[in-house]
Amino acid sequence: MLAGLRIGKRAKIIDTSGADRLVRRRLLDLGITEGSEVCIKCKMPFGGPFMLESCGQCVGIRRREAQTIKVEEL
Amino acid sequence: MDIALLGNPNTGKTSMFNNLTGSYEYVGNWSGVTVEKKVGLLKKGTASLIDLPGVYSLNPLSKDEGVVTNFLLHDSFDRMLNIIDASQLERNLHLTIQLLEFGRPLIIALNMVDVASKRGIEIDVDRLASQLGTKVVPVIARSGRGCDELAEFVTTIESPSISSFTVSYGEEMDGAIERLARMLEGKVHHSVRWLTLQLLEGNHYVKAYLQSFIGREELETFILDTSKAILSNYEEKTIDHFIYHKRQEAIGELLRNSTYTEEENKQPLSEKIDAVITNKWLGLPIFFVIMYFLFMLTFDWLGFPLSDILDGIISGPITGGLEGFLSFIGASSFIHALVLDGIVAGVGGVLVFVPQIFILFFFISLLEDSGYMARVALVMDRLMEHVGLNGKAFIPMMIGFGCNVPGVMAARTIETPRERMLTVLLTPLMSCSARLPVYALFVGAFFVSHKALIVLSLYILGIVVALILAKVFSTTILKGETSFFVIELPPYRIPQGKALWKSTWEKGKGFVKKAGTFIFAGSVLIWLLSYAGPQGLNVEMDDSFLAMIGGVFAPLLAPLGFGTWQAGASLLTGFLAKEAIISTMNIIYFVPDEASLQGLLINSFSPVAAYSFMVFILLYIPCLATVATIKKETGSYKWTCFSMGYALLIAYLLSFLIYQFGTLLGF
Ligand SMILES: Nc1nc2c(ncn2[C@@H]2O[C@H](COP(=O)(O)OP(=O)(O)O)[C@@H](O)[C@H]2O)c(=O)[nH]1
Ligand SMILES: [Mg+2]
Repeated sequence: MLAGLRIGKRAKIIDTSGADRLVRRRLLDLGITEGSEVCIKCKMPFGGPFMLESCGQCVGIRRREAQTIKVEEL
Repeated sequence: MDIALLGNPNTGKTSMFNNLTGSYEYVGNWSGVTVEKKVGLLKKGTASLIDLPGVYSLNPLSKDEGVVTNFLLHDSFDRMLNIIDASQLERNLHLTIQLLEFGRPLIIALNMVDVASKRGIEIDVDRLASQLGTKVVPVIARSGRGCDELAEFVTTIESPSISSFTVSYGEEMDGAIERLARMLEGKVHHSVRWLTLQLLEGNHYVKAYLQSFIGREELETFILDTSKAILSNYEEKTIDHFIYHKRQEAIGELLRNSTYTEEENKQPLSEKIDAVITNKWLGLPIFFVIMYFLFMLTFDWLGFPLSDILDGIISGPITGGLEGFLSFIGASSFIHALVLDGIVAGVGGVLVFVPQIFILFFFISLLEDSGYMARVALVMDRLMEHVGLNGKAFIPMMIGFGCNVPGVMAARTIETPRERMLTVLLTPLMSCSARLPVYALFVGAFFVSHKALIVLSLYILGIVVALILAKVFSTTILKGETSFFVIELPPYRIPQGKALWKSTWEKGKGFVKKAGTFIFAGSVLIWLLSYAGPQGLNVEMDDSFLAMIGGVFAPLLAPLGFGTWQAGASLLTGFLAKEAIISTMNIIYFVPDEASLQGLLINSFSPVAAYSFMVFILLYIPCLATVATIKKETGSYKWTCFSMGYALLIAYLLSFLIYQFGTLLGF
């Protein structure tokens, strides 16, 4: 799962079907979907959101959503 | 000729608009700066340009994105200017493809080529243009490079040919397009190919549009049949993913032929800054430090001294000059009083605060343009989630510190209707710049040694009340499960001096303009009301009409510590515009400058009553302009009334508690 990825490690998304429909759509808008390479830049404290980087752009998503996205470490 | 500007959020559409039209619109480095369409005339004056909110796709999720789809469906225009970010081509081209499918003349402005080349991305513009079948003009909207050629091109070419570029979605889709075309029997003038694809992607606006031609059931059957046909032939879970992937393939092909990326491992500066600014532990403290600096500069270090100087000028040379002039022309004592006690007191009393308001707006512009706003949303999300909102709601609130009207409008970028409504309702609790003069006046009179601290406490009180009410509303009247947070964090950009100044001026201009018009007229009226009474003209102020009107509220306000007709009258005018409170007080207390007004106030308020008064001003009601905006944004009288009613109730309650407990404790 994306949430389990360590900061700075790159991974490839393999399945987003577990995520909320709206979240998935928005990530898709930003070009983040199955097959995209992502990297976690930082995790906010107290269960806060994550900052992801993918193709040179940064995106913030909630931890809860990151727990539903399957990734494969590269 | 009408040209529509379209593109992803934050690609420089508004910068381009400003450059091409020579006018000025609001630029910022976060998604969702433009939430409404804006029309401007091109510099040469031959065509008008329409700035639209940024969208990633024509299938909208939030209300500001819906503006674009609605525009395409229902408004008439001649050609489209698509701005794409050269450093994020892959994502930007998804929208370009949809626009090409829309089938109207399209010209592409390839923006941010400076950013792209810094990232080691080289683009063969001619190859890209020939593959897309459209004209592509490389530009840098920020500096204006290439904008003249673009303007030249957009307006002079007689009729740009419609591109023949198409993505192939397979024969099932082609069949579906034909079927929809037959169902529509030529009743629509939009491209059926575009309509079909948008419909299948789940675009509600397009669906509603089609339902005005085709029966609901027939349309549903069409969607179902097509989805089934396509999904059974391809390995895809949903039809929108299928469409997305087909486009993705086409884009990959396009880019393989026309771009070259130099592999480099250098960490972009933006990420280095983020390593500190959004650091796990430093994020929040840094935010507070920035807010503290903003605040101290506005109120203490820079703002107060500047306002004092201005006050000296207005009450000294300007008043003196006017007095001399009026005596010289032999004006009657009535005119004398009207100009000096009415207009100078009313308008001057507000203008004194121009330096502080401009400093505040300058910092808000700086936060917006640098890209920090989106980071604030990220840092605050966890807290906001606890009260039933999301981090994005914090942006309208920050904007609301400047003025509540654009704050309420900025709530459009929030995707879920429930969170949007909450944000619209609560943004007016943010202490806007028009409330600042009231605080400045009162802390100057009552809390001289703790000026900044007292004002800071009011700002924080506004936020705390908003958060508590968010929690209350989201667990009672605005219940709902959905909370949604995905935010694009744009790269940091060094704000440009010129853009920054313009942005500050645009925001602050309204305040100065209002002082010259609304406050001016209001001051005359209030002065007249204070000059005339049932017994005639030039009555004692306590026997004036104003005293009668204000007196109605006095008994109600007594438990809050300020049961005077003066307070009642000022609060009444404060509904029209918050800074009118100061004008009214200046006129009522009949003084030449701020310092002597403060002297008088000490006699009619106790310190705790003064604090209670400030809290009441902070919360009691959104100003008239904000109420109108809330009505427009919610489209409901019920919610508009609610936004006023709850504010009044909370303000009364809090002021009551503060005054009663404060007096009990002997302040
Ligand atoms: N480096 C660079 N920055 C740009 C360029 N065009 C716009 N910007 C910046 O990008 C940000 C977003 O611009 P804006 O016009 O508000 O974009 P919009 O959201 O598409 O309307 C602002 O900070 C601009 O100063 C460009 O060509 N190069
Ligand atoms: Mg814009």
